[in-house]
This record gives sequence, C-alpha cells and structure tokens, in this order.
Amino acid sequence: MSRSFLQIAVGLAPLPTGERLVRFIGWGRRAHILGQLATVWEERADGKLAEILANARIWAGHDRRMLSYEMNRITRALMGTDIYPVLLKGGAYVAKALTAGEGRRVSDIDILVKEDELDRVEASLKDAGWVADEGTSGDYDQQYYRAWMHELPPLRHKSRRTVVDVHHRLTPRTARLKVDHEAMFAAARPTADSALKVFNPTDRFIHAAIHICADGAFETPERSLIELFYLFADLSEAEAEGLRARAAEVGALWPVDHALWAISWFFANKRARSLCREGMFAKAFAAPVRWAIRAKVAGGLRAKAAMLLLYPRSHLLRMPIGMLTVHLFRKAVRSLSGSQAN
Amino acid sequence: MRRLEDYGRRAVRQALRRGTLVLHLGPFAMQLKADSRALLAFLLSMYGACHATLEAGVLADFSLHVRAPNMIRRFVRRQITPDPGFYFPTVPLPRPMAPLALEMGMNLAVALQCFRFAIYHAGVVADERGAIAISAFSGGGKSTLTAALMEEGFRLLSDEFAIMGLDEPGLYPYPRPVSLKNASVEIVRAFAGAEEMSTTLTGTPKGDIGYRRARPHELEMMHEPAMPKLLLFPQFSLDAEPRAEKVEPGDAVMRFIAGSPNYHALGEAAFGSLMAFADSVAAYDLHYGNTADSIALVKDLWREHGS
Repeated sequence: MSRSFLQIAVGLAPLPTGERLVRFIGWGRRAHILGQLATVWEERADGKLAEILANARIWAGHDRRMLSYEMNRITRALMGTDIYPVLLKGGAYVAKALTAGEGRRVSDIDILVKEDELDRVEASLKDAGWVADEGTSGDYDQQYYRAWMHELPPLRHKSRRTVVDVHHRLTPRTARLKVDHEAMFAAARPTADSALKVFNPTDRFIHAAIHICADGAFETPERSLIELFYLFADLSEAEAEGLRARAAEVGALWPVDHALWAISWFFANKRARSLCREGMFAKAFAAPVRWAIRAKVAGGLRAKAAMLLLYPRSHLLRMPIGMLTVHLFRKAVRSLSGSQAN
Repeated sequence: MRRLEDYGRRAVRQALRRGTLVLHLGPFAMQLKADSRALLAFLLSMYGACHATLEAGVLADFSLHVRAPNMIRRFVRRQITPDPGFYFPTVPLPRPMAPLALEMGMNLAVALQCFRFAIYHAGVVADERGAIAISAFSGGGKSTLTAALMEEGFRLLSDEFAIMGLDEPGLYPYPRPVSLKNASVEIVRAFAGAEEMSTTLTGTPKGDIGYRRARPHELEMMHEPAMPKLLLFPQFSLDAEPRAEKVEPGDAVMRFIAGSPNYHALGEAAFGSLMAFADSVAAYDLHYGNTADSIALVKDLWREHGS
C-alpha cells in the first residue's frame, strides 16, 4: 500500500478519496511528510484537506525560516576565518530552493568542513553561543564522537536551542564504506547569498544515497525515498548518465545502486531503472537488504521483521564487530545504571 | 451534522473503540480512539451537544488515542495516557481518570500541532459587543472567571486557548468543557448548577478536577469568531482588595506571547495579527479575592470598553 502512497505523495498518482484518503493523510502525518504533500496537493485540495495541508505548510515554513536564520548565524560565526563549510542535506535543499526542500521538516543543520578546520570551527561556534548538547555531553560520548565518528558531537545553541552537526567526512572513520569526501568537497559550489557552499547535483544525490542506504537503519523510509526521488528528478540527462561513474570514483557505488533500485521500484521510474546496471553477483548480494527496505515501507509486522536485519546492519556498516561489541556493552551498562556521566 | 447525543450509546462506543469517532469543534476536527467506560460516559455527558461523525473516512486535523502506557498497564494496576501521535512526556494516570487524559490530550494536540492559527493560553468569552480574553498562568483564576462570566450573559469561546487568526485578530471559538481545579469546582457548581458539571475526579496530579459543560448555544455559534476588546490578567489572592490596573499594550502583548505554544513558529503572520489585537484591546491586571469582586470589576471595564 505504501508504494502507491509514495507515488501519490510526489504527484505521480491521483489523490484517493474517502477512507483511503484518511489512511493516506494518517500515513503522511506519521511519516512527517504532510508539508511535502502540501506542496504537491494543496492547490488542488478543498475543505478539511486544504486546512490540514495549509497547517502543514505553515509548520514547515517555520523550519525553513529557522534553517535560513541558522545559515546566517553560522556564516557570521565563521566570519573572519577562511572556512567555507558545505551545507548538507535539508540545509542545502533549502539554500538551493530544491523541490526536495519544499515542505520538508528539518530539525537540525548539517555542515561539512575539512578535518584540519574542525578545531577552529568548533571554537568559533562555541564563541557564538553553541554548546555541547546535553544528550551527548558526557565524556564517553564526547570521546567516542571525536575518535570514531564523522562529525563532532552535536552542538546546541544555548538560547535558540537549534542543533548543528559539524561533519568532517561523510561516513564514520570506522565505516566499511570509504567515501572520497575530499573529491566531493573540491567540486562543491558557493551558494548565491551566503559564505556556505553546496555539493553539485550529482554529489548531492550521492550523499543522500550514502546517508540513506549506507548509514542508519532506514528509520524514516517515506521521507528518505521522497528525498531521493526529487534529487534524482533534478539531475539533467548528462548528470544522470554520469552518476554511476562519479559514484564509483568517490567510492559510493553500492549505496547509489541501492538508491537507483529504490527509485525505480517505489516510483516506477524508468530513468532510474535504465541506470541500474548491476551484475548478477551484486544483485544477489543486495537482495536481502532490498527485501528489508520493501518490508519496512510496507509497515506492520513485516517492518518489524525487517528491523531485525536493518538495525544490526546499520551498526555493522558503521564499525567493525569487535568495536561494536565493546560499544554496545558500554551503552548497555550506562542504560542499566541510568547514568549519563559514564 | 448530527450531535453526539443523537447517536446511540452503543454506536458511539464502537466508533470510539475503532477510532473513527470525530468531534467537529469550531475550526478543528478531532479524531478519538479509546476503550474506556469512564471516558465514554464523560464524552456522552460533556460533549453531547457537540457535532460528531462516527463513520470511517472523515478527515481530522488531529487524532488522539487514549490508551494504556504499555502492555503491562493494560492489565495490571491499569493506567491510561493520552497519545496525540507524537512523543510527549505525560504522566500515566489510573484508568478512572481517563477524562482528564482526554482533556489533556485534546489540549496537547491543539497546542503543539496547530499552525493555521496563533494560539495563546487564555480563556475567551464574548457577547454581541466583542470578546474578552482572560490570560493567566495556571492557578491564576482564568477558568473560574471564564465560568463565572458564562453566567453573566457571555458565551464561551474557549477555556484554554485564544485561537487567533493569522493576519487578522478575530478570536475563534473552540467550546470545550471548562476545566476547574480544587475549590473552584464547588464555586462554579454553586452558580452553574450541579447538572452542568461533570463528576469530580479526586486525587489527580492536579488535585481535584471538575468540568463545566459548554452550552448548546455556544456550540451553535462555534463558527462565529469575535473581535477582542478586552485582555485581562486575573490575579486571584485570598482577601485581596478588588482593583483593575491598566497594562501598557507593549507589556500586555509580551505577557500574552509568553503563553503561546506556536507564536515563535508563525513569523510575520502571527506578529501582524497580534499587533492588530494590541490595537483593538484594552489590557488590565485584575486583583481580587473572590468571584463576585472579579465579576464586578469585569462589568465595569466592559461598560467602558465593550462597544
């Protein structure tokens, strides 16, 4: 059912009526994509549906303003340095006014800087009022992030309560997938009205594919799939043709192949299907994960079963098994003792 | 549209269990799901005159599931908690307090998910001349004064929220039961009549809680907004000499914003309507030590500003 809902969500299929419409709106609400449904359907809606979509649009408008303001504050915090971060994900979609950013709910802002700039960026942001977020301010988490992750521990602004994730690479240091983020950084472009940069469209899609298909457990499938769909739709013919070559170049071919498969499967997208050129072996290897993704999207019991695969996978992608064991043990001890200071 | 009391008890119970019961209250449709006798009895008694639909396929702005906090609490020392569909920390309550969970949940759903209107924490009553908004922090006497003014020729718009348009300051009705705490329950019962009151819930985390029903004519007029004329900040303290002190518009507006769950999220539109609101109201601090004094103060102010 969710596959047809996804197609309705991006305007590929007509809006349902009656009980199915109520289910569709409930699905969109649980998936936090009502704002995105509004950008597609509000003009053609009336009555209660129009009110629900207007409400969602106004709500997403707040996230958009928050993001724009935070971009401005980050630029300001880094003024006088020669550091020009790359905006990632939702921040970039809003800065570039992409369809993927319209109506999208955003809670924090992600930026990428060079690793040797990390200390200066952290110091500048702390001078400007950001502090370590309470949830990860303990010594273990602070050390863990700094030693092994691809980002600083989250920074929360002490008065505005907004969160910045400062990345220095696109996957954890310990991750299986080694992405050449430096090549992607080098190809990034400045935005029109701030000192922040964004990836080029191809790299933007590649990063979304990495984030969605090779990091994490597919926790927000609807949001992620819609994001991939819109980013893919924004690629020109030439960019789409060059996508897999670029993905191979930066070491992210298999996440991109997952993403192309997902777009082709969930949105019946011919262009994505024509780009899927995996060998038999790669296909067989990808099959269990793709089953899990389909099950996760379908929801219900199958989705719970899928998590039995996706959740351990997300950890194994992030770190080697020995390290994972120690990490989970530390976390378990901490949650049992109920202490944050561990 | 039919009223809740026009349906049979059994049909209402089934719809409530299935989660297809939708209350249509002012600008909001609220979908409810619960399996609780206490809650069903409360709904039928306090929301009887409210427009409702029971069939599936009706869109709602918000949905609220009043349910056990976990599997164990469905069976052992049974508890209940409001689930508005997003994570929010609430205290689980013993099952007989389901009406409180319902009312808290309906407040939460609106406060945290409504963005079509600017919401402010205030009681609102109106007559043909305009509306009075009664802002207060919990325990200041907002609900008691709201209930008292209902006996003085005003209609109830809302006991909990001033629901303001974006870009225009009209206040929209959301006439749900007035929530009263502790001593206020008996005070309101005395002037409203016992038949207008819910059963009192004793020993809740908020003390004793009772509800005063919204009246049929208030539900009839639930789509008619009113222009605000008076903004009051009631400050009840025992044995206080009654007096009204004018509050400067700037101060009044800043205090009003402090009680808004969504003002910060709405940007310029909410600012615009709030500025128009500031131009259309006179604001006063009310100090009083009993309900009779508070009503006398409001009547005086209404003679001056209600036009």
